[in-house]
Amino acid sequence: MSNTIASEYGHTDTSVPIEHRFNPYSDNGGTILGIAGEDFAVLAGDTRHTSGYSINSRFQPKIMDLGDDLVMSANGFSADGDALIRSFQQQLTWYHFNNQNKKLRPSSAARLIQHLLYGHRFFPYYVHTIIAGLDEEGKGAIYSFDPVGSYEREQCRAGGAAASLIMPFLDNQVNFKNQYDPATGQARLKTYLKLDEVLNLVRDAFTSATERHIEVGDCLQIKIITKEGVREEFYPLKRD
Amino acid sequence: MEHDPFKWGRPDNATYGDYDYRISNAKNTEFPSMHTQQPIVTGTSVIAIKYKNGIVMAADNLGSYGSLARFSNIERLIPVGKDTVVGISGDISDLQYIERALDELEVENDYDGASHPFKANHIHEYLNKLLYQRRSKLNPLWNAVVVAGINSDNEPFLAHNDLLGVQFSSPTLATGFGAHLAIPLLRKVADKEEDVAHVTKEQAREAILQSMKVLFYRDARSSNRFSLVTIDKDTGISFEKDLKVENMSWKYAETIKGYGNLQKF
Amino acid sequence: MVAQPVQKVFPLTLKITNLPSSNSSRPWRIPVRIDCYLSHIKMAGLSFDNFQRNQYIASKGVAMPKATSTGTTIVGCKFNGGVVIAADTRATAGPIVADKNCEKLHKLSPKIWCAGAGTAADTEMVTQLIGSNLELHSLYTNREPRVIASLTLLKQHLFKYQGHIGAYLIVAGVDPTGAHLFSIHAHGSTDVGPYQTLGSGSLAAMSVMETQWKENMTKEECIKLCADAIEAGIWNDLGSGSNVDVCVMEVGKDAQLLRNYITPNIREQKAKSYKFKKGTTAILRESIYNLVDVEETEIPVPMEVDA
Repeated sequence: MSNTIASEYGHTDTSVPIEHRFNPYSDNGGTILGIAGEDFAVLAGDTRHTSGYSINSRFQPKIMDLGDDLVMSANGFSADGDALIRSFQQQLTWYHFNNQNKKLRPSSAARLIQHLLYGHRFFPYYVHTIIAGLDEEGKGAIYSFDPVGSYEREQCRAGGAAASLIMPFLDNQVNFKNQYDPATGQARLKTYLKLDEVLNLVRDAFTSATERHIEVGDCLQIKIITKEGVREEFYPLKRD
Repeated sequence: MEHDPFKWGRPDNATYGDYDYRISNAKNTEFPSMHTQQPIVTGTSVIAIKYKNGIVMAADNLGSYGSLARFSNIERLIPVGKDTVVGISGDISDLQYIERALDELEVENDYDGASHPFKANHIHEYLNKLLYQRRSKLNPLWNAVVVAGINSDNEPFLAHNDLLGVQFSSPTLATGFGAHLAIPLLRKVADKEEDVAHVTKEQAREAILQSMKVLFYRDARSSNRFSLVTIDKDTGISFEKDLKVENMSWKYAETIKGYGNLQKF
Repeated sequence: MVAQPVQKVFPLTLKITNLPSSNSSRPWRIPVRIDCYLSHIKMAGLSFDNFQRNQYIASKGVAMPKATSTGTTIVGCKFNGGVVIAADTRATAGPIVADKNCEKLHKLSPKIWCAGAGTAADTEMVTQLIGSNLELHSLYTNREPRVIASLTLLKQHLFKYQGHIGAYLIVAGVDPTGAHLFSIHAHGSTDVGPYQTLGSGSLAAMSVMETQWKENMTKEECIKLCADAIEAGIWNDLGSGSNVDVCVMEVGKDAQLLRNYITPNIREQKAKSYKFKKGTTAILRESIYNLVDVEETEIPVPMEVDA
């Protein structure tokens, strides 16, 4: 074996000798998925928490309700994920205190999270973060972030261990990529999916990821944001 | 989880390649001093399971110095407050530091004698913050900690915490080797949170005793002497010390000869 | 020595069955040229020709390909008058499940079977090789093969390769001397015992063995114990999953392979159907190339005889 430092997030580098010291990161598996609809948004994740080949917990939900009809999940190294969400919640408390309990918009929450992540630019939070909520017009909003704070508003995004398995499925089924209208031969037009259709896609995405990724399984947590507020559903997943 | 405490927190060989010993052998006078952290005297697994009215937790009394069974009377189950016990594995000096930190916390919290009592979830959160802060300073407390007790809603509380600040809870928890050998047995008793309501104190205790036996059979850094604690939300903490692994069976060993070619026909 | 390309022309007959012709079973003859490099295939054993090259490109930071590993739970256990081995059926490549229902129980001889953990290709090949040698040995001696012989062949082969052949095996079987159970590690060491577990789920399986095993079990008790041990691996070890395969070898009887003895992980029905309308995949461009000239030769077809 060569002295390589390799990670999913970085390039491979052999020019520096590896330092033999404490490694402050680990990977706790799991996967998350957010989809925005016309008047709703969902954020889903499995509840399996892993280290190596072991299951630490079969039920450790990681989609958090932040209040203000916002939900958030930071998937990857769970200690960093917990710390990020906690510091966001503290900032939100101060925001409410200073602004007569004004409701925080998803776009503002996203900008705040960017600053929290970039604040650790040289000792990053090792997480893929997604938030979901409703924008000022009541439309579903999903924002996703890389570990150091680059972010974008999107229609849908998968993050975590099985992101590379789920994302192509979403491209095809949510944004109709590579689908053509048989009648016209033109690319299939984008339409908003209904909530029950989205929930079916989410469940199929997770049962499929469970089949093919060892770190995904046990239980599926889905948080759904509508103008009525946030509600939560759980579905069992395979436990092997 | 990696069961060998010596490998905790190090880059994984399978992912990063074998450790290059030239690094540790190099004369690095022009480098600033880097203190490589590693546990010295270590304690092995802590195991715990929930039952309908509380939690049973156990840990053996051995302090290992590498492969030397150095200390045989280490207590690794530490009571904090009225209804919480913290079980600690990994480095023993860091264990004692945590013990002191928790004691200070308790004194600080209760010095006016009229304070809000500590509950298990508070202690868990305090330890989580402490461990995560130390890992973020790259100067970790080399431990895995199980907090067992009663939470502020008067329900059984069980959570795990480690040197990286990683935290989770489950009806069954175990650190170190226990995560591999004891968890499969404990999950047969309580796999889901819903199962806990049907588990009696006796069943939980029996599963823990069985797991301690298997751990003594198979974990080379374990001993047959252990402490066991039962935390019941009605009757409180009952501590049992100086327990011994019982009903072991080594009889089949006499039928084994050699390693393949000396079988009796 | 520089390898010289040796040109050979092999006659090759392709049977094309789906031509829109009435006479669909008529064979066609197509000449195909194959260039072969034959100079390296003379030496016996594994080829290490690429070793230095791989070392070099690895030092340049190119990652080596990952072998499919059967990160596995396998077990074996003896009972009164026989032996049982069992395995899960998940094969992984890193965190990805490569095969949900692979076979990890290999036949060395009709009554000697072997459960394999480690690198999938190594367990497969070493098992085939020793299976062949066992057969030859049995033909030569005109005796039924023995478990001890397969153990010796395997351990000597694995020791020779100093652990580079990543096969971790549980060998079991019945022969004229009775029922036997062994385990072998990739470096060539072997173990004897009334029960054995190996693979990433070996600790989960061993916890079951250590609590449930007893002396003088019946065949049924033994199968149940092995299946339970594998299940412990399936639920608690991420490297193991899907189904339980079992093989029972009883003295004086044929070995019995119980493929998918337990299937506790059947996938639930999908919430939605993903059948696309015909024409959803558009044809953007179409081009047809003539790659071979098909030369038609009439070959007399033998008269059909009713079976």
